[in-house]
Amino acid sequence: MKRAHVARLRLLRLGIFKEVEVLIDTSEGTDALPNGLDVTFEVTEIKRLTGSYNTMVGNNEGSMVLGLKLPNMLGRAEKLTFQFSYGTKETSYGLSFFKPQPGHFERNLTLNMYKVTGQFPWSSLKETDRGVSAELNFPLGMTNHTLKWEGVWRELGCLARSASFAVREESGHSLKSALSHTVSVDSRNSAIFPSRGALLRINQELAGYTGGDASFLKEDFELQLNRRLFWDSVLSASLWGGMLYPIGGQLSCIADRFYLGGPTSVRGFGMYSIGPQSEGDYLGGEAYWAGGLHLYTPLPFRPGKGGFGDLFRTHFFLNAGNLCNLNYGDGPRAHLQKLAECIRWSYGAGIVLRLGNIARLELNYCVPMGVQSGDRICDGVQFGAGIRFL
Amino acid sequence: MSLAAEAFMSQMAAAEPWPENATLYQPLKEDQILLSDCASSLAVQAYLRMCGLPVQVVCRVNAEYMSPSGKIPFIHVGNQVVSELGPIVQFTKAKGHSLSDGLDDVQRAEMKAYMELVNNMLLTAELYIQWCDDATAAEISRPRYSSPYSWPLNKILAYQKQWEVRRKMNAIGWGGKTLEQVYEDVSQCCQALSQRLGTQPYFFNKQPTELDALVFGHLFTILTTRLTSTELAERIKSYSNLLSFCRRIEQTYFEDKRIL
Repeated sequence: MKRAHVARLRLLRLGIFKEVEVLIDTSEGTDALPNGLDVTFEVTEIKRLTGSYNTMVGNNEGSMVLGLKLPNMLGRAEKLTFQFSYGTKETSYGLSFFKPQPGHFERNLTLNMYKVTGQFPWSSLKETDRGVSAELNFPLGMTNHTLKWEGVWRELGCLARSASFAVREESGHSLKSALSHTVSVDSRNSAIFPSRGALLRINQELAGYTGGDASFLKEDFELQLNRRLFWDSVLSASLWGGMLYPIGGQLSCIADRFYLGGPTSVRGFGMYSIGPQSEGDYLGGEAYWAGGLHLYTPLPFRPGKGGFGDLFRTHFFLNAGNLCNLNYGDGPRAHLQKLAECIRWSYGAGIVLRLGNIARLELNYCVPMGVQSGDRICDGVQFGAGIRFL
Repeated sequence: MSLAAEAFMSQMAAAEPWPENATLYQPLKEDQILLSDCASSLAVQAYLRMCGLPVQVVCRVNAEYMSPSGKIPFIHVGNQVVSELGPIVQFTKAKGHSLSDGLDDVQRAEMKAYMELVNNMLLTAELYIQWCDDATAAEISRPRYSSPYSWPLNKILAYQKQWEVRRKMNAIGWGGKTLEQVYEDVSQCCQALSQRLGTQPYFFNKQPTELDALVFGHLFTILTTRLTSTELAERIKSYSNLLSFCRRIEQTYFEDKRIL
């Protein structure tokens, strides 16, 4: 019976069936075996073509989003999705084709074609990306690997006439053709409020060897450890780090660099407002590290236990990090020294809400420390929403 | 810009003197810059030299996208970024440097009219020849414009620019013209300029003005740039006073450097 249940879950995971029912009965009929069982899976397929229409209202912008999906295009759970977003400020669209290997759903191929625009007021920058990408996912033992090639035409521009000259110098077009590889090991029992397990994700990206203008090697990693303590509280430690190494003597582009700060990384600081800046515009840095120590407890007095209250946690946190540009001529000792000086850190407490199994909302009271001149802080109450938190 | 913003900007501009590190940005001289941009850039450089204001010329691949108005050239002075000759003249005037102070109102109106003539005729003709003439576009303009980028971005940007210029030409009514007609228009424009110049050293007698800088920028660039045919340069060479005008300005203001 357990295997029937597992098979049912695997069929549902394909995303092509609305319902899967399992009927187990003693086998009957002419070719019935003695003590045999007939297992019948009754499936209801999803409609061949589904559409969706949403309107979104955000920061001074409204947009209309149209989606089209073919969940089972060629009969083997291939998915074709098209999304089009028409907004007051920007328009973006994306076409995506997903093909799992029949019998092995974890091995799959995704092809993407997209145009995405983004506005980054902390750098007074706006970016339009038009690109294609091909991604291959496969498990290997306990690890999950992703190999991806991406070709992107990036167009950068100033968001306002008052943008600093350093950002103005980055305006223009560039072409990035990059190969990247990600390996991840995830033994946590949940993505949002894990109470045990660890996550390690290492990502590397090499651009420039398959064409294009941008040429660099980028590494970054993410580590998270969770452990349950007394009374349903969980201690969680996380560490992020990364390095961007421009190849061929070129300067790195503002769109490739790392950014730090904000409600999803070092709390208590403004969004991406740590590190090298020019006239108030944050330029990002080529190397960074960030660490966090959290203690999650259920809400005091446990209101709504067993139901709504389980979506909330209180947490106490200590975050630290640094973002800077390295002088690649010096040795590794000098690099470590540079990353260790001028550390920004913060501590505080707040409430966290889980949304589904992917996202989190946080409301924190933060006290930033170690603030360097040029950083923008957000001390006091800070609100954050997102998928990936330090 | 709104009136309030302009007034504010001239207040800010007037506050500081011209710094030593003023810079002028243009596309790469050897491989990338096209005739029309080179002419505009030379006009601004000539104007600043006539005012006696030092400026450094820096070549950047993305100069066109760095410019706040999308046009070449632009100058970075102190904290401010100003592009195109018209606004640059206003900007230097706010700082107290001007070449046309000695003119009376009638002359000033005449100067503006001739500057409009050069912009509407010569500059448009240069753009037409670069982008609407298929031979020039294929041999010179597209390869040069897209030289800093890699495939396929170079093709995309070059064709995008070509379509943009052709749409603009259609909008102003030049889409239907032939190359011969464009050459004729250039000749007529040069004739008008030649007649105004006469035997004087500069357009308004003894002192150069921004009109002299603009005319010099365009004529000198046309004379010294290699195109698919020498027809355009020949048409200008037929006016000897314009030739000696260009030579005179080159010798007076550009003796310390080779321009092109």
